[in-house]
Amino acid sequence: MTLDEIKSGFDAIDEGPHLSESSTISLAGEISDPASHPSVAALLGRFGDAILHHRVSSGTQHVVWIDPSCNLEILRWLRDDPDQRYDMISDLTAVDYGAGRPINVVYQLFSTVYKRALRLRCELPLDGLEIDSIVELWSAANWLEREVYDLFGVTFRKHPDLRRILMPHDYEEGYPLRKDFPLRGRFSRAEQTRRALNQAVEHSYIAEEMELGRDPQQATPVNGTQEGDAEREVR
Amino acid sequence: MGLRDVLPGGGTSSVTGGMFGDGSPAFLTSKIDWIINWSRRNSLWPMPFGTACCAIEMMASAASNYDLARFGMERMSFSPRQADVLICAGRVPYKLAPVLRRIWDQMPQPKWCVSMGACASSGGVFDVYSMVQGIDTIIPVDVYVPGCPPRPEGLIYGLMMIQEKIREESLARHFEHRAEDPNTVARPHANDAQVRGLSGPFGNSTQQEELSTKELGADIASSEDLIP
Repeated sequence: MTLDEIKSGFDAIDEGPHLSESSTISLAGEISDPASHPSVAALLGRFGDAILHHRVSSGTQHVVWIDPSCNLEILRWLRDDPDQRYDMISDLTAVDYGAGRPINVVYQLFSTVYKRALRLRCELPLDGLEIDSIVELWSAANWLEREVYDLFGVTFRKHPDLRRILMPHDYEEGYPLRKDFPLRGRFSRAEQTRRALNQAVEHSYIAEEMELGRDPQQATPVNGTQEGDAEREVR
Repeated sequence: MGLRDVLPGGGTSSVTGGMFGDGSPAFLTSKIDWIINWSRRNSLWPMPFGTACCAIEMMASAASNYDLARFGMERMSFSPRQADVLICAGRVPYKLAPVLRRIWDQMPQPKWCVSMGACASSGGVFDVYSMVQGIDTIIPVDVYVPGCPPRPEGLIYGLMMIQEKIREESLARHFEHRAEDPNTVARPHANDAQVRGLSGPFGNSTQQEELSTKELGADIASSEDLIP
């Protein structure tokens, strides 16, 4: 490695990530025959127009871009169809490619029945960051969707409890995992420290969560009865 | 004329086998500072505030191989109200800053603080949007233990430095040593100018010596501004 290469490497660190203007960056992967993955072929056969692209990433990972307005319908079919049975959501996250390109919401599914993995992506334009929540399909998606909401600013419609999960409840600097978010935040350190010390910690939690933190041997439950506890569990 | 002559009974113990043998004085003279400092420094109860890998080393320090109890830290006090020294071991995000501050405020005087490890002392490698750049911007710190994480010997050395600090204290200079202005409770410990210095390249790690040695005056500008 020459000295010039090292220097340009340091320059790149100072400049931050380079934003490629290529519009196909989010379609990374190789074009492959949809028939090589049974679920992809079945998706194309059943949903047709709602299946936008198909690529293979890292050799074996099949990635399918779907229409964001149909995500609930497609995911429900993938979970319930006897030939698919994607009963586990390994991960739900999002990717921002910067330069005004759409934010991708990524669903990583796994079928414990057929031992198959499938990745679905929904491209959301920056002026329409809304998508249906899939908590009703996999309750494991609850906190994952809250995390995406917190760090990327994607709103999940009909989510039962859409609150910030990692950042303070009154965080006002934006969405930290977006590409345009400065590494050290938007406010000065002094302002960040002042805001941090003035936050009301209890406001980050709802009543049920505060109840979980109570010492079961000392305090009495809020409504004081065993029936109340059972009712909370049911709810 | 010795002390023995002016005290009733000649100052000698009527009990045989006194402190220093038969007929010796049954009392010792000392300075109250010495007695108080001796008892304080040999019964320090740590409040463990472990948030990351430093806490693993802190647990190792308390376990049998290193045995912190040899030095008077007999009991890790998990209630701040029965603790003397706060050991902040690990990184502290801004979301946790009010928690740390409240625990510090709940500890009764006299109290001391050990900042254990690079992250607690300066933010470490986490010079990012979510991380407190050194807990000395939140609470006063007596001893910084360097390391990532420090070995148990490091933490024990830091706690023994606290003991050395206590040895030099005096009741007459109580306010100089540790009185905290109630008006500053739940406010940043460092002033605006100091915290502003943390925004520079490499953050607190390059600013700390300057902050601790230079007197920073009242040139505190408004901190409402945003970083451009």
